[in-house]
This record gives sequence, structure tokens and C-alpha cells, in this order.
Amino acid sequence: MVATYLPLLIMILVAVALALTLFLLAVVLGNKNMTPEKAMPYESGQSTGDARHIRLSLTFFLTAIVFTVFDIEAVFLFAWAAMFRELGWFGLMEMVAFMLILGVTLVYAFRKGAFEWEK
Amino acid sequence: MSPWLALSPLLVVGIGSLTVMMVDAFSNKKDDLSILSSAILIAAAAIAGSLWFGGLPPQTPEILAPYLAVDAMSQFFNITICGGAALCAMLAGGYLREHDLERGDFYSMLMLCAFGAMVLSSATDLVSVFIGLETMSLGVYCLVAFRRGSARAIEGAIKYFLLGSFAAAILLFGSALLYGATGHTDLLGIGQTIRNGNAELGLALVAMSMLVVGLAFKVSAVPFHMWTPDAYEGAITPATAFMSVVVKAAAFAVMLRVLITCFGDPLSAGAASGWPPIIAVVAVVTMIYGNIAAIYQSNIKRMLAYSSIAHAGYILIGVVAAFRVQNTAVSAVLYYLMAYTVSNVLAFGSLIVMGTRGKEAVTFDDLAGAGKRHPMAALPFIIGMLSLMGFPPTAGFFGKYYVFNAALQADSGMHWLVIIAVIASAIGAFYYLRVIVYLFMKDPETGAPQAVAMKSGYVVTALVLSAYFVLEMGITPSNYLKMALAAAAGLV
Repeated sequence: MVATYLPLLIMILVAVALALTLFLLAVVLGNKNMTPEKAMPYESGQSTGDARHIRLSLTFFLTAIVFTVFDIEAVFLFAWAAMFRELGWFGLMEMVAFMLILGVTLVYAFRKGAFEWEK
Repeated sequence: MSPWLALSPLLVVGIGSLTVMMVDAFSNKKDDLSILSSAILIAAAAIAGSLWFGGLPPQTPEILAPYLAVDAMSQFFNITICGGAALCAMLAGGYLREHDLERGDFYSMLMLCAFGAMVLSSATDLVSVFIGLETMSLGVYCLVAFRRGSARAIEGAIKYFLLGSFAAAILLFGSALLYGATGHTDLLGIGQTIRNGNAELGLALVAMSMLVVGLAFKVSAVPFHMWTPDAYEGAITPATAFMSVVVKAAAFAVMLRVLITCFGDPLSAGAASGWPPIIAVVAVVTMIYGNIAAIYQSNIKRMLAYSSIAHAGYILIGVVAAFRVQNTAVSAVLYYLMAYTVSNVLAFGSLIVMGTRGKEAVTFDDLAGAGKRHPMAALPFIIGMLSLMGFPPTAGFFGKYYVFNAALQADSGMHWLVIIAVIASAIGAFYYLRVIVYLFMKDPETGAPQAVAMKSGYVVTALVLSAYFVLEMGITPSNYLKMALAAAAGLV
């Protein structure tokens, strides 16, 4: 048991030690001249600043959520279709109930104006 | 019994919530939704009651058996959950209109949460436990964020959502490990495998602690309580009442089922091994922390949040005691949950009735002198506080009495637990009585905002009903205890 995992342990220790050493070396040896760009939060090379001013319409998210719901519905439909013969009437009834519930939510979303892009 | 009949309380609430959605979508009169949804919920409770007293079948219909139990205990919880949710829907009817928050989605969400809670409390399979838990929780996150414009509501909801998803993930991980350890997902099968010694014991123990963590989060036991004060404060008061009664009841139901059915063997449920010592420690920390933190609150909803943490601690004592005197302890927990449901609805309802638009009672100072100005509105507040405190002729007293009694019968090692609980509830008396002191013995500061009582038939109905049950459960507790005992007998 111990012998099996010993190399793994050594590897982890080496990895941690190496990372720590490099980090400490950078802290000790590196020169630190701060520029405004460096002081900014790092966002994968993108400069922060402008992006947060773009305002997205809430309708965008509503549509996305409604899409997800019906996308998942399609996933369940595929699974049912693949097992259609084995599940028989029971499966059909289950699926009808499932679709009915989703249909009600669709009517609800529609009536509540989730699909009106311009308000 | 056909599976349809056995499932009828669930079906009524499920189809009812869709009906409420449709009525909301096609009608402009929103306040009627309160009557509609509470009527549907009360009907579901009545159906559960008649199923139970009309004679339950000895066995759950085969098609349901692996996933949902249709036993006396699930009917007991159906009644408690639907009753509590109906009272909250009534409170909402008054509150939403008064504070100009009238939106129909509250009621459909409330009913869907109640549906999830009912599934959770009768779940007998790890899969249905998780589905029930998530159905309930997702709705509750939305209920907390119901006042969309308020930063506090959003903060509470986000905190609750993040921590809640994390807890659900831990619970799911635990379920997966339990399946790995035993090869079963149904609670009964897991229990048998562990008892026969065919389970991977170490793995099962890890799984057990993960399940306990996930469920302790839902009942807001310390140290998994961080979200409670913020979520309770941010949510609108009827939603807070709902969270504190329905969510808690369902979480305790599933905790009892999982611990007793899966981990009822002598090794996992021993005086010094398995879950009883873990839960005993959690109970002690929860009681002490909840009661002491509640003293320092100036906001009444936060105070009630810490009080609900403290009550979770008392109920956990009953859960611990179930390892030895199962029937006595489980029935005590059930009685406590029912008593806590009506008492807490009464407390939150009284808080609602003490506020009008723009003048909601939030802090102790807002209540100063309110009892003199509105004596009739203060009366339910007093009854609610006395019941939460555990004062004799109320439901809360017998709840505590039965739980402590079960703990004393269980094991001589549990005496210290009861002693701590009694001291903790004595500390609790301080902040409950403080409400009454502010209502009657303080005068408002000059120029300070004064709470004005609202007039609403919905809220008054809910208050009268819950006050009636608080007093009746306190005056004739044996009837309700008999019910709880019958319900507890169904749990194997």
C-alpha cells in the first residue's frame, strides 16, 4: 500500500517544493516597478475597464433560460424515443404528463411576456 | 390501494400549483390566488388525513414502493407541510397586497416548494431524496429573492443559493459513496446491506457524515447555519415563515428516515459510535450558539432566525435519542415539528400584522409601545413568543417536554445533553420576553418611526388558526402525541 503510493507522494512533494521555490525566487529576485496596467486585476490579457459598461437586456437571459428548459426536454425525449417499444403505454403516458407540465410553463412564460423582445 | 389514490395529496398540490400558474397568467386579480392556493393546500392536507385515518394499506403500492413511502409518517408530514404552507399563503395574501408586492408567482412557487417538501419527507430512495430536496430548495431560493429590488433580498438569496448548492453537492457525493459502499440506492436495501455486514464500512461511514452535513445545512444546524440570518432577513416575511417551518420539517423528516433506515445497525447507531455522538455535539453547539447569538440581535427577523437555529438544536436532541428509544423519540420530534410550525407561523404572522406599507416593524425599537396602541394585534405575538419560549399551556412547552423526556429515557449518557438544553432554553427566554417587554413596557422614542398594525382578513385568519392550534396542542397534547406516535410507528 505504502510502497505503491510512495512515488506519488514524492512527486507531489517535489511539485509543491518547485512551485514554492520559483514563487519565492520571483519575490526575492524580481524587480518591482508598478505601472497602472500591472496594478489592474488580471483578466486573461483583456484590459478591464470598458467591458462592464455593456448592458445586456434581461430578455437575453430569459430567452436563454427558456431555451435551456426546452433543450433539456428534448434530451429526455431522445431517451424515451430510444426505449419507446420497451416502455410501451406506461412510457407514453409518462411522457405526455411531462410534456403537459412543460406546456403549462410555456403558456405561462408566453403570457408573462417572456418572449416579447421589445417592451 | 391504487397508486393514484396513494399519491393523491402530492398530485393535488402538483396539479394545484400548475392551476395557480395558469390562473396567474390569465387573470388580473392577484389577491384571489392566496385563497385558491391555501384552499388547495388545505384540501391536500385533508386528503392526507383521510387517507391516514381511513386506513392505510399495510404496504405501499409496488410501483411506488422503492421511491416514496405512503405510510403514516409521510401522511403526518403531508398534513404538517400542507397546513404550514397554507397558513403562509394566507399570510402572503395580506402581506403582499399591503406592501405592494402583489405578484402571482409567489403562490405557484410556494406550492411547488411544498410539493418538493412532501416528496422529500416521504422519500425512501437516495434518488427521490435528492429530487425532492432540489425541487424544494430551488423554489425557496426564488422565494428569498422575491423582493427583487432589495439588495438585502438578493444578498440573502445568493448566499443561500451558493451555500445550498454546495451542501446539496456534498449530499449527492455522500449518496454516491453510499451506493458505492452498498450497491443500493433504496434506503431499506442500504440498511439491510450494512446490517448484514456486506457493506464497505469505512466508505459507508464517510457517506453517512456527508449526508449528515447536507441535511444539517437544510435544518440550519451550527456550523452550517451561516446563511440563515441573512436569508431570513432578506426574504419577505411570509417566505421567511415558510422557510422556517416547511423546509425544516421536511429536512428533519428525511434526516430521520435516512439515519434510522440506513444507519440503524448497532455499529452506526451506538452510544459511542456512528451518528448519535456526532449529532449530539452538533445539537449542543447549535443550541448554545443559536440562543446566545439571538440575544444580540436588534432586528426581529434575525432574532427569529437565530431562534430557529436554536430550535433545530432542541429537535436534534430528539433525533439523537432515536437511536435507543426509537418510537418515543421520533414521535417527540414529530410533535415538536408540528408545534414549531404553528408557533412560528404565529410569530411571523404577528410580525406581519404589526406593519403597514412603509412602516414595517423590523426592529425591537419599532415595536416599542405597539402593544398599547394595538392590543389585539399584540395578543398573538404574546402567545407565539410564549410558545417558542416553551411556556406551559402552549404547544412549545410540550414539544420541549417530549423531546427532553425521550432523551432522558434513551441513555444515561444523555442527561448532560438535556441539562444543556434546559439552560439554553432559559437563555432563550430572555429574547422572547424582550419582545413582550418592548410591546408593553417601552414607549417609543420621540420622533422615532412607529409601527402601525395592518388590517387584513387573510392575516387575521392565519393568526386565529395558528393561535388555536398552539393553544390546543398545549391544552390537549395527548391527542397530538397519539397521532405522532402512530406516525412514528410506521418508520422501520
